[in-house]
Amino acid sequence: MITRQIFRANQNIAADGYLVKQLFGAGLVWLEQNKETVNRLNVFPVPDGDTGTNMFLTMRHAYLEIAHMEETNVGKLARAMSNGALRGARGNSGVILSQLFAGTAAALDGHDRMTAPLFAEATRAAVEYAYRAVEKPVEGTILTVSRMMMESVQNNYSHNPDLIMLLKRMIVAGRVALRHTPEMLPVLKKAGVVDSGGAGLLYIFEGMLRALCGKPMEAVAIEEAPVPVQHEETWEDALVPEDGLGYGYDVQFLMRGDGMNIEHVRRDIQAMGWSTLVVGDNQLIKVHVHVHTPGDPLSYAIQSGASLDDIVVENMQRQYEDYVHSRADRDGEGAVAVESRGPAVIAVAAGAGMKRVFLEQLGAASVISGGQTMNPSTGDFLNTIAMLPNEEIILLPNNKNVLLAARLAAESATGRSVRVVPTVSVPQGIAAMFEHQLHTGSGEAAILDVVADAMNDAASAIRTLEVTNATRDVEIDGLSVRAGQYIGLLDDKLAAAGDDVEAVVRDLLVRAGAEKAERVTIYYGSDASLRQAKALVESLIGQFGAAEFEVVEGGQPLYPYILSVE
Amino acid sequence: MSTERIHIIADSTSDIPPELLPNLPITVVPTFVNFAGNSFPDDNVQLDRQGFYQQLPALRPFPTTAAASPGMIEDAIKAVADRCDHIIFLAQSTKLGSCYTQMRLAASSLPPDRYTLVDSQQIAMGFGWQAIIGAETALETGSVEATLDAMARVRKAVRVYCALNTLEYLQRGGRVGWAQAGIGTLLQIKPILLVEDGEVKSHAKVRTFSRALEEIVRVAHEYAPLDRLAIIYTTDAEAANALRDRLQDILPAGGRTIVTRITPSIGVHAGPGALGIVPLSAAWKN
Repeated sequence: MITRQIFRANQNIAADGYLVKQLFGAGLVWLEQNKETVNRLNVFPVPDGDTGTNMFLTMRHAYLEIAHMEETNVGKLARAMSNGALRGARGNSGVILSQLFAGTAAALDGHDRMTAPLFAEATRAAVEYAYRAVEKPVEGTILTVSRMMMESVQNNYSHNPDLIMLLKRMIVAGRVALRHTPEMLPVLKKAGVVDSGGAGLLYIFEGMLRALCGKPMEAVAIEEAPVPVQHEETWEDALVPEDGLGYGYDVQFLMRGDGMNIEHVRRDIQAMGWSTLVVGDNQLIKVHVHVHTPGDPLSYAIQSGASLDDIVVENMQRQYEDYVHSRADRDGEGAVAVESRGPAVIAVAAGAGMKRVFLEQLGAASVISGGQTMNPSTGDFLNTIAMLPNEEIILLPNNKNVLLAARLAAESATGRSVRVVPTVSVPQGIAAMFEHQLHTGSGEAAILDVVADAMNDAASAIRTLEVTNATRDVEIDGLSVRAGQYIGLLDDKLAAAGDDVEAVVRDLLVRAGAEKAERVTIYYGSDASLRQAKALVESLIGQFGAAEFEVVEGGQPLYPYILSVE
Repeated sequence: MSTERIHIIADSTSDIPPELLPNLPITVVPTFVNFAGNSFPDDNVQLDRQGFYQQLPALRPFPTTAAASPGMIEDAIKAVADRCDHIIFLAQSTKLGSCYTQMRLAASSLPPDRYTLVDSQQIAMGFGWQAIIGAETALETGSVEATLDAMARVRKAVRVYCALNTLEYLQRGGRVGWAQAGIGTLLQIKPILLVEDGEVKSHAKVRTFSRALEEIVRVAHEYAPLDRLAIIYTTDAEAANALRDRLQDILPAGGRTIVTRITPSIGVHAGPGALGIVPLSAAWKN
């Protein structure tokens, strides 16, 4: 727990080195917790998926420098951290981070404690150093995020000189800036992510704030801001290197020597490659550059007479390929996707297979877990609605017990047009989604009510058959059922029962008029297997006219089989 | 004996109904379908359409297709070169086949001002309407410029929509550009393919063939009023006639509506049961 020895309205109270160290440690821990999230966001300048790791390594190097220091002078601590960060800097974002520290150290130099005005000055200098370190500053990156955070401090410190308040303002400003990064940097938008370095910086400050507020350090990350993808181009295409030679190599090293000329080194290194960062002083220079021939900058540095240290050479082309691979895997896990045209759909479904159908094949923007056993709340709908950027949203409850929550959410969602298509089964929801695709897949603008009405019609045209086990003895509509027997529901009404699942399914199909249907789909649940489902089809095929049978993994609980007849 | 100024040489994927050919200055060069160890031209003589489609589901290995050789196209040129001033070569979309290249090679024997090479950017009757209207314009005007202009306008306006009853043939044919119709999806679909800008695209994915036909009927009405309409099918003539009846309210008069069987060199990819439309809106003339 951190001593609340922080500057407050009374400017005589100031933060000392001890507090700064603790805050710094907290930022480090929180960044480490979230570094994988940051890695996954990494697409610029090279989609090599290592921003989080690089920032963490840089930060840790800085922290190790001060971890065992008894020093309480903030100026001296900041200087030590800055030196550590410069030596440990990895990657573009790491180097920029080290420059944020360098600026901070320059501002705090000679100060024993930190006051609000000094904090403001430190943020200003930090951002100035960071911008200066980059040959051609690009907006929509960690630079923008840091600048917006800095500006919030400038605007607030004089009338509200409270560290907690300032940190909160910084984080809010940083989040807003982060959310807008895709608009500033097209590659982010194409890839459907926000800037990774900016996200990493936010985690560091969030960690500090969490420590100050006594919050735990193992909670989950902030949500990745979903970004509307408005391009035909996929993120894979967006990330293909423009250079035919590929992404090349990332080369980093430290040069040590006396009386080195950083301007000359920067100029010469820049001539060799791209994404160049050369920072330091006349005794210690950190070089970071992307090249196709990693030997060039290394030979240059050695020939200049400097001694080299901390040499890191990474094959970015391979990292990029790995990233594409892992991103492709992750996309299959049901991350929030966004329809490009027309209203977005939020569907409720239980079971991994059912969710995959909605997200991967049918382009639902989001799937809320739930159904028969776990009814999502109005709040669940509202939260999901809030996460989507779309103006128009359609809700598919897919269960009659969820209908009401969906309707309440549709009524109370402010600033959006939300319609409920009152589907009461997953097959109905799927039928509705095909209609949604039909309306939103073509070039013309899809009108919410037209789409929703068509989805409704499609849902009503399909028959839903569900097979489950009776939980108790019951007699309904002349059918007497013993607990444990299979029961078959046709459009939610008890229609068949028995000990033999195959007989129950056949009975349901006859009642549903499957012999005149074109397609029978069997979604097998977590209590049935693909083998069992295929055997079931074998026993039924040919008995129902020309209907095509199809087996799909649903993974739903409680219902071994859900079928649709259309 | 020069009776015609302009002659069109088109490949057989244009699907021009044979009964129209005697009255139009068009020569069709065949495309070859290779199966059972032999190569058959899809000229309806050596390869009977009805018979071929009956065999198709059982053919192993799967049939492949190939454009006519430059030599065959040279023969076609020799047959007409003496009785016309200008030859327009019209080929299936260059993104879908190699006939354009073969035509270019064959045509190089002609003086450059005696021929024009055109990529139809289409297949089936999407290509066929360009050839037919081009030939009609050539007869009416005798002007190469007017003929090319009419063909270009048709090319811009015409589309092919085709519902597939099965994805198997598309998948096995493995043609680049054909494969994006939703193969490998979790739920089976009936795709409606769209041919435009030289490519085969996915217009829509639905669950049942009857829903696919509903969509095709809807789309057809978007193109009304129609100047021409072709109903195209691989095996089910009855369904094709039924589809024509469903479009009764927008059918263009007389010979401007055609029901025709897709040539085997395209049919091997579309598979049995495929059914579609090739609408040409009257607006192409404006």
